[in-house]
Amino acid sequence: MGSLGKPIILMVAMYVFLKFVLPYIPGSAPLPSSLIVLYLLLTGSGIVIFETVSKESKDAFWGPIQRFLTGEALGGLQALRYGVLIFFPLLVGWQTYGSTAVSDLPPMESRTIHPAPPGEYTGLSNPVPKTPDNIMQGKGFYAAYCSPCHGGNFDGKGPAARGFIPAPANFADPTTIAMLQESYLFWRIKKGGVGLPIEGAPWKSAMPRWEVELPDEWIWKIIMGEYDGAHQSPRTWE
Amino acid sequence: MKPANQMMKQVLRYGTAATMAMMIGSASLGYAQESVSVRATLMTGGLPLEDPNAAVWSSAPPATFPMSPQVHWQNRIQEVTVKDVIVRALHDGNQMAVLLEYADPTQDPDDAAALEFMVGDKKAHFAHGQPMLQVEGGPVNIWFWKNKTDKAVDMSAKGFGTLKPQEHQDVKAKGVYANGTWKIVFSRNLSTGHAEEDVQITPGEFISIAFAVWDGRKDGSGDLVEKGSQKAVSSWWYFRADAPPDYSGYMYAAIAAALALGFQFVLIRKLKKGQ
Repeated sequence: MGSLGKPIILMVAMYVFLKFVLPYIPGSAPLPSSLIVLYLLLTGSGIVIFETVSKESKDAFWGPIQRFLTGEALGGLQALRYGVLIFFPLLVGWQTYGSTAVSDLPPMESRTIHPAPPGEYTGLSNPVPKTPDNIMQGKGFYAAYCSPCHGGNFDGKGPAARGFIPAPANFADPTTIAMLQESYLFWRIKKGGVGLPIEGAPWKSAMPRWEVELPDEWIWKIIMGEYDGAHQSPRTWE
Repeated sequence: MKPANQMMKQVLRYGTAATMAMMIGSASLGYAQESVSVRATLMTGGLPLEDPNAAVWSSAPPATFPMSPQVHWQNRIQEVTVKDVIVRALHDGNQMAVLLEYADPTQDPDDAAALEFMVGDKKAHFAHGQPMLQVEGGPVNIWFWKNKTDKAVDMSAKGFGTLKPQEHQDVKAKGVYANGTWKIVFSRNLSTGHAEEDVQITPGEFISIAFAVWDGRKDGSGDLVEKGSQKAVSSWWYFRADAPPDYSGYMYAAIAAALALGFQFVLIRKLKKGQ
């Protein structure tokens, strides 16, 4: 009889492990519920294969299930049997309703934050010498043109930022300019939001296309001022 | 050997616990996203097309959207009066009405507001459908209201400098100012005969909407502070007119439950016969 108890304990233990233990192992992350279901299905089919290799183990495994379903000699468990027989169709109906009902949620949107730049904007190096004067000039241009949205503190919290989605980039965040090359910033500043490829959702970005207003030299200086002001360094290839 | 009953109890206990845990896990997935849309509630009876203060507006859920100064293109402005707009919408299956509400300390003749929609299947940039460099964009439909005339102008644009009133004027608007608050109702038929320039609203489908507001106050030298591209703007948000109630989900659920029930009976009969 233990041959049915053990598999169930194993399944529950597997679920508890996947849901509550695995996410806390360093370097791990919570599993999506679809993956948990998949792992449980694999565990379940493994158990079924294992339990049905011999005639004896197969009988020991299926016997109790058959007796429960047919209701033979169940005694006090008869009520539970009816409960299960009622609960199962309701569960199927509920799941069907959940998967066919029209969603009230707007379409999900995914936006690539740093999409690939066009070929001509990869690997360019800043032609402006990195002198204190140039950095200071860059910060001056930044204050005039960029800070209304990207913020005087380079944190993306400028006074004009509040209504914009996507929010203006926070340059102090290590996942923005610190992981990009100067060449990439040059492209993004020059072409602005409308220059993004489709995966970057260009129709939503308020970033101006600065090439129509600022000379390239100013843009290179702004890049310098941004890195200096945000205490970040451009990504390099070494 | 344990008695069969005891073992069955165990089976049920663990099985139910595991099933419940999985159900709770999957049910909590669907509710993570915030509300980012205007919902036009379906109503019967007259829509309050001319009345921003009609009681029926309270039956439409309000949605609040933050505003920014327009910075995408020259001429820019660094600061604007209106920081948020509150939006409600109603429809009756033929017509729709959108109520735009915002705080403005003064009523000025040049106060103005606008709704913007994407038209058709192509994405349009929120700044007047400004051309995009790597994506072919579509036009936008702009419903512009001005206090001076208290009327709407139905307009089209595909990039800055291309904004112009349409030949067919399908939109109405009416504004009321009281206690430092503007309330403006825009209304139109859900669909028009001009799908290439007018947004077409199909109940149940999400479309993109954005907002713009001009505070018509003047500076010390008598010049307008907010005018033209110097205005408060929002990003794109979603708009949806509620579809008529749909009960087909219940029908599918009932069919599925009946099938599961039938499966149980067949299975049990087979098992009993087999023995």
